[in-house]
Amino acid sequence: MSELIKEEGPQKGAGQQKVSRRNLLADLAKATVGLAAGVAVLSASAGQVEAESSTPQLAPSPAPLAKQIPQDQLILRMQRELYKALQKPAEQRQWAMVIDQRKCVGCSSCTVACKAENKLPPGVVYRPVIEEEYGTFPNVSRRFLPRPCMHCTNPPCIKVCPVAATYKQKDGIVVIDYDKCIGCRYCISACPYGARTFDWGEYYTEGTPELEKYELEPAFEYGEKRARVKHNSPINNTRKCHFCLHRLNEGMLPMCVTTCIGRATYFGDKSDPESLVSELIGSSRVMRLKEELGTEPNLYYLV
Amino acid sequence: MQKRLYYILLLILTGVGFWALGVRFMDGMSVTHLTSYFSWGLWVVFYIFFIGLSAGSFLLSTMIYVFRMHALERVGRLSLLSALFSLIAGLMFVLIDLGHPERFWHTLVYRNMSSVLEWEIHFYLLYILLVLGELWLVMRDDLSAMATNDTGIRGTLGKILSLGYRTAPTQEGQAKQAHTVERWVKILGIIGIPMALGVHGGTGSIFAVQIAKPYWNSSIVPIIFIVSALVSGSALVTFLYSFFGEKDAEKPNVLASLSNLLIMFIGIDLILVFAEFLIGLYSGIPQDMQSLKAVVAGQYGPIFWIGQIGLAALLPIVLISLSHKNGSDLMKGLAGLSTVIGIIAVRINLILPAYVSPQIPSLEKAYVDSRLVYSYFPSSIEILTSIGIIALVVLLFSVAWELLPVVSNSGHQTSGRRTESYEINTKGPTHTA
Ligand code: SF4
Ligand code: SF4
Repeated sequence: MSELIKEEGPQKGAGQQKVSRRNLLADLAKATVGLAAGVAVLSASAGQVEAESSTPQLAPSPAPLAKQIPQDQLILRMQRELYKALQKPAEQRQWAMVIDQRKCVGCSSCTVACKAENKLPPGVVYRPVIEEEYGTFPNVSRRFLPRPCMHCTNPPCIKVCPVAATYKQKDGIVVIDYDKCIGCRYCISACPYGARTFDWGEYYTEGTPELEKYELEPAFEYGEKRARVKHNSPINNTRKCHFCLHRLNEGMLPMCVTTCIGRATYFGDKSDPESLVSELIGSSRVMRLKEELGTEPNLYYLV
Repeated sequence: MQKRLYYILLLILTGVGFWALGVRFMDGMSVTHLTSYFSWGLWVVFYIFFIGLSAGSFLLSTMIYVFRMHALERVGRLSLLSALFSLIAGLMFVLIDLGHPERFWHTLVYRNMSSVLEWEIHFYLLYILLVLGELWLVMRDDLSAMATNDTGIRGTLGKILSLGYRTAPTQEGQAKQAHTVERWVKILGIIGIPMALGVHGGTGSIFAVQIAKPYWNSSIVPIIFIVSALVSGSALVTFLYSFFGEKDAEKPNVLASLSNLLIMFIGIDLILVFAEFLIGLYSGIPQDMQSLKAVVAGQYGPIFWIGQIGLAALLPIVLISLSHKNGSDLMKGLAGLSTVIGIIAVRINLILPAYVSPQIPSLEKAYVDSRLVYSYFPSSIEILTSIGIIALVVLLFSVAWELLPVVSNSGHQTSGRRTESYEINTKGPTHTA
């Protein structure tokens, strides 16, 4: 990540950057105004992340890259770490996600990518981006909070399920067995983060002359091919973010990570101390939502 | 004539309800106005309402069969019968609230020991067996009489339901049988007390254990569930007995005892609710505050003040104290009715206000969808199915009341040789009948 700074460093000059950094740290509101400078600063503050230049073993690159820019190296690093983690037995890896709020621009492309990847119907959303507003005019600033499932270490949702349809996998991912779930919605109430939504069996093109075909196409959640037709699950089931388990198992990063335009979402194996997420979790900027409830989320934010 | 009209009305309502149920099962959960952020609604309200009625009626019956409150012996079977039918209604409401009702059996096959709901479903099933067993025991002599003396449907029913049991011909044998009944009813009742407490306290715990909802997440919630169950159970029995129970010399005494119990339960309930609100409002935890404000002065205000405070507390207290003066049975019955209706308001306010505040501020603005909002009003299908289920259960209850020896014969044999022991009015005040 330190390369990010280098990218802008030469034009600005080191001294100039230092000044702007101090100002920005003193006044958070201003920091969000100048986006380019902001990116530079926050990359600096998370600067423990090692440089990517000395990485010859990028062998299983999913697609040839047109231009090697540093941000893409981060995604390649995550990709490589994903392969590494998948080599281990499931119980030795602990998937975790880190979201850098200073990098998030609130574009909601993760929300949309997730909707598309999992073919989510109306009313079902796994990763909305909450807009937080601070201050009063004219001193206002905004911050964005993408909210997937926290994949809590002590998930209240799992405790309450009467049929054990929702459970925690060995790798830490909280999943729902659609064929077991009776749709009682107890877990929805029990989740302190509002991370579970119900599939009401609705379609976007309902009430139009024809249900569009794309709505009936199968999705591949949990590696199962399921078309939303008739009363078949997942219709009338509870649904939630599963860190794109079906992609992970094929060696691909979650869709939201891949698609994030600000490269604000990081994903990896928390139990590997060398992984990118482990490094980021060590930052002093780290926070988790509703710590006081003891749910121990595996979703970290950098504020 | 009146009776026929009553049954026709019930049949029509049941019919409409069945149509609505058909729509619900055809179209799935999309017929509701529930949302993912407001995920339980009218059906759950009625579910806890009926489970409460059931537990309350049952606990009332234990006062008779276990604690020997003889003043109430007349309504023992009635309370057991209403416990049974209320439970059936409650279970029907949980069933239609499931996204996949056809998978209800999963609850018995796939275990999750840490789920309160899982435990509750087992509790309900055991409890239904217990109520049935107890009901059969206290009615078996009458059923046997029906089997031997009656012809037609009552005779057949007696033959089937008595399960081959016949009252002994001799005095001696009868005494022995009566003794057995007395003992077993007492044993079942004693088992039943923790069970009924578990049934409704546990139902309250379904809500109380949720750390995500500060409005529920309090140890007073299960207690309020139990006490309000007692309120509703005794209110229902008071109402039924006063309006439909046979008029005789004992009736005023029985009603006086019942209504005194009712007042006592209402009093305790009020104290608990007061405590809950006072502590909640004083503490001022934001998410909790939003719910409490919605109840006291917000969109649930009318339901709270008119229903919970007016119909379920003040009106019955006034009616009952007036009735003590003029000895009116009708007024006590009305007090019961008003309480039962008021308890629906209590149940509404126990469930719905928990959903008015977002789990994370502004979550509802993050992704705008009609199924992602923190407001709810039941859809017509939700209302019609509810009316239908209630009509069906009232219908079944009425038929059972007509065909089975529920109140009429209960002067004797309910618990052996206690026929003449009505003179002690344990709780009731002295009054003129
Ligand atoms: S965020 Fe909610 S749904 Fe996800 S694991 Fe935690 S409690 Fe369960
Ligand atoms: S909705 Fe499904 S996953 Fe959630 S608690 Fe009920 S059965 Fe379990």
